[in-house]
Amino acid sequence: MSTTLTLFDDEFLKKLEYLTIVSKRVFAGRFRAERRAKRRGTGVEFADFRAYVPGDDFRHLDWKAYLRLNKLILRLFEEEEDLPIYFFVDASQSMTYGAPSKLDYARRVAAALCYIGLSNLDRVHVVAYADKIISELPPQRGKGRIFKVFRFLNDVVEGGPTNSRESFKTYCTDTRRRGLAVVISDFLEPNGYQGGLDVLRHFRHDIFVIHIASHEEVQPALKGELVLVDSENGATREVTVTPSLLHAYQSEFERFCSELDSYCGRYQLGYARTVTDFPFEELVLKVFRQGRFLK
Amino acid sequence: MNFSALTAPQAALLAFATSGAIIALYFLKLRHRRVLVSSSVLWQRVLDEKEAHSLWEKLRKILSIALAVLIGLLIALGLARPEVEWLTGKTERVAIVLDSFPTMLTQTADGRTRWQRAVDAAMSVVDSSGANVEFRVADTSGRFDSPWTRDRREVRRFIEKIRPAAGDFRFPEIGGGARAVFISDGVSGVAPPAGAAIVPVFERAGNVGVTAFEIRSTPSTSLGYEAYLEVHNYGTQRSNVDISVSGAGGQRITRRAALQPGESFTEAFDLSRFDGGGIRAAARSDSDAFPLDDAAYAYLPVRRKTRALLVTEGNAYLETVLKLNSLVELSITRPSEFRDTASFDAYILDRFAPTAAPGRPALIIGAGAARDAAWLPRTGSTVQKPALTAWMEDHPVMQHVSLHDVSITAATQIDASNLTVLASSSGRAPLIVASERPRWILLAFDLQSTDFPFHAGFPVFAENALAWLSRERLALHRAPGVVEIPIANAVIRGIDGRDVPSRQYLGATVFEAREPGLYTAETRDSRQYVAVNLTSPRYSAVNRTALANKPPAASNAGWLRRELWFYMLGTALVLVSAEWLTYHRRITL
Repeated sequence: MSTTLTLFDDEFLKKLEYLTIVSKRVFAGRFRAERRAKRRGTGVEFADFRAYVPGDDFRHLDWKAYLRLNKLILRLFEEEEDLPIYFFVDASQSMTYGAPSKLDYARRVAAALCYIGLSNLDRVHVVAYADKIISELPPQRGKGRIFKVFRFLNDVVEGGPTNSRESFKTYCTDTRRRGLAVVISDFLEPNGYQGGLDVLRHFRHDIFVIHIASHEEVQPALKGELVLVDSENGATREVTVTPSLLHAYQSEFERFCSELDSYCGRYQLGYARTVTDFPFEELVLKVFRQGRFLK
Repeated sequence: MNFSALTAPQAALLAFATSGAIIALYFLKLRHRRVLVSSSVLWQRVLDEKEAHSLWEKLRKILSIALAVLIGLLIALGLARPEVEWLTGKTERVAIVLDSFPTMLTQTADGRTRWQRAVDAAMSVVDSSGANVEFRVADTSGRFDSPWTRDRREVRRFIEKIRPAAGDFRFPEIGGGARAVFISDGVSGVAPPAGAAIVPVFERAGNVGVTAFEIRSTPSTSLGYEAYLEVHNYGTQRSNVDISVSGAGGQRITRRAALQPGESFTEAFDLSRFDGGGIRAAARSDSDAFPLDDAAYAYLPVRRKTRALLVTEGNAYLETVLKLNSLVELSITRPSEFRDTASFDAYILDRFAPTAAPGRPALIIGAGAARDAAWLPRTGSTVQKPALTAWMEDHPVMQHVSLHDVSITAATQIDASNLTVLASSSGRAPLIVASERPRWILLAFDLQSTDFPFHAGFPVFAENALAWLSRERLALHRAPGVVEIPIANAVIRGIDGRDVPSRQYLGATVFEAREPGLYTAETRDSRQYVAVNLTSPRYSAVNRTALANKPPAASNAGWLRRELWFYMLGTALVLVSAEWLTYHRRITL
């Protein structure tokens, strides 16, 4: 993992620096940053006028307007604050499937997006979850913290079945501040992925879904009399894999992806899907931009 | 349903065991490979949906088991040879008995023969029988009897193998539980057992045949022979017959006769003008359906006097008998002057025997002289007054010779090992013995010790002895079929000079004479002619049938042409192939 993460070469990192994570909504930040905030403040971008009331900073009075109108008009500027970005990385057992594993691919995606967020002085939270919160990186800000993010992602230990609903509920209850929630997962949950995303929606996060599938899931090379063993719960299922059954599975997988896409579309969630054998750089530099997740 | 190879409980046990074993094996077969998947969520959905919506999926497993069990049951029960009467016909044993009497070769109006009809009828019986019928094929001559078999091809081969021939005819033993089908023209007189199905192939036909043809010497004429010929019309119509007797030298006697049904032509032909050799008698008529009896063969010995040398100190009886024999050219010499020479055909050695075997056949009279001859049997003490009690009347030397009242005062004991005893005393002491090779005859007594020369049989004995020693003999008479002649290691040749295959059997030579003809049996130093003729009213009376024409009874043939196990194993094979194909295409499990 460490070798993988350090394989972000300088050129790729420089390209990432030009990218910014897009949030459809404007959230209140805690520190000054480069992101437009709801509050009017001390930014350089003009926002509005309003009547002066005592206590206002008279440095922002518009004297030209006073000469014309004989009224004290105060010039308002946009406040630029940081954006809280929550990266929820699915570290359940199912994410270890495939070569390369989906978890490795998710780590790389999360690392790249974290770097972009840190470069834009956003506050980056990284959370690894399965059936509960496995590990959590405290909010990080500034490019210099990227190695801390790398180490965190590197140290993520996979485990257990997936229960995003309980995991997100636990995390969001503790962390009240709304922001951009990026969920990186295969979304293969026995109880469905909707519960977890509903929790994030309930807490009014701006949600972006990155769906990672392995090539073996999209086109499984299975044939004959098999016992399928679920990697998460060890459940078995005897099956005779015929071409028609394979075709049915592939159709079901496509339907699953379509349902996820439809769900995201219905609730205006960002959605991107990738397969582990898809070139990572292309995903970050092109696909996410085309999906208006990055600009 | 019943089973030929198993009892009903055994068959049920076999079916149960087979089904159990196959079901067990079926489940053993489904040892699935374990494959790890990230999540079974999607697979679960697919399979649930498939199982919920596909009746085939539900039935697939049951169908696979059922197919495997069916294959196993077909094989197991097929090995038990099941029988279903309405499918494969009645289970029974049928013995097809073909009458191989020579008259079966009589031609019918359609140009075929009764035998061909019989073969067709036998084939028809085989074809119309059910798959569970076991067949045996036999003929009435006893020459062919097959084992029981259900192999139709083999049965047909057996039927085609049989040929009509002369012989001793009787109905073969069939045994209990078997049904006999007797195919015959009814002429042989063979009586089938009660209950046997009779398939008659008789059709009335015309036949004029030679029923007797024999050459015999004429006592009144020196070296004279005559041929007795009998031709009979066994047909139902008057027939014009051209009769001919032809010899090896081109001599030919012809007659023409018009014979009414049942009428015979008989005549004794003088063969004095004929050269020695084969003689053929033929009767050609305008309506004849049985050619086998149209010709008969015989052998006419070459007429020549026997050059005999009598070696004696003086024996008036013997000299007189030999001089009076017109067939003998006699020379006389003393024992001291005896020289073995090729100028004579035979020697008569009276109380004398040379120390070395002579080059010519010899009649040695008096065994007392044989003590110093190593080529003669060992002699013992003298037997006083032996009584002649037994002699071989059928031997050529003893034919027409009566030894009744012949008295002998003294004889020498002879070791008769490996010799033919022609006459012996009451104590089984050999008195006259003969050797085939080298050929000689030895009397254990001399003519001075017996009254044999005064008996009427003595000249006959002398003539027989000389004839047996040196003259050509008349042919042996045999009928077509398996011919046995009492000559060991003989080479058999046909009338065309070609070798006829033969075999040795108990010191005799046996060969198959398929048609009438004159055969020769040759050894190193002898030749015997064998006249094979079908000259008998028994064979020529082709219309003397004892059977009535009636169609054969229909049999329950069933639907299937083979036994049920054949179809069961075939079906199992097809199902195995189908299962193999569907298994590899994931249609069945």
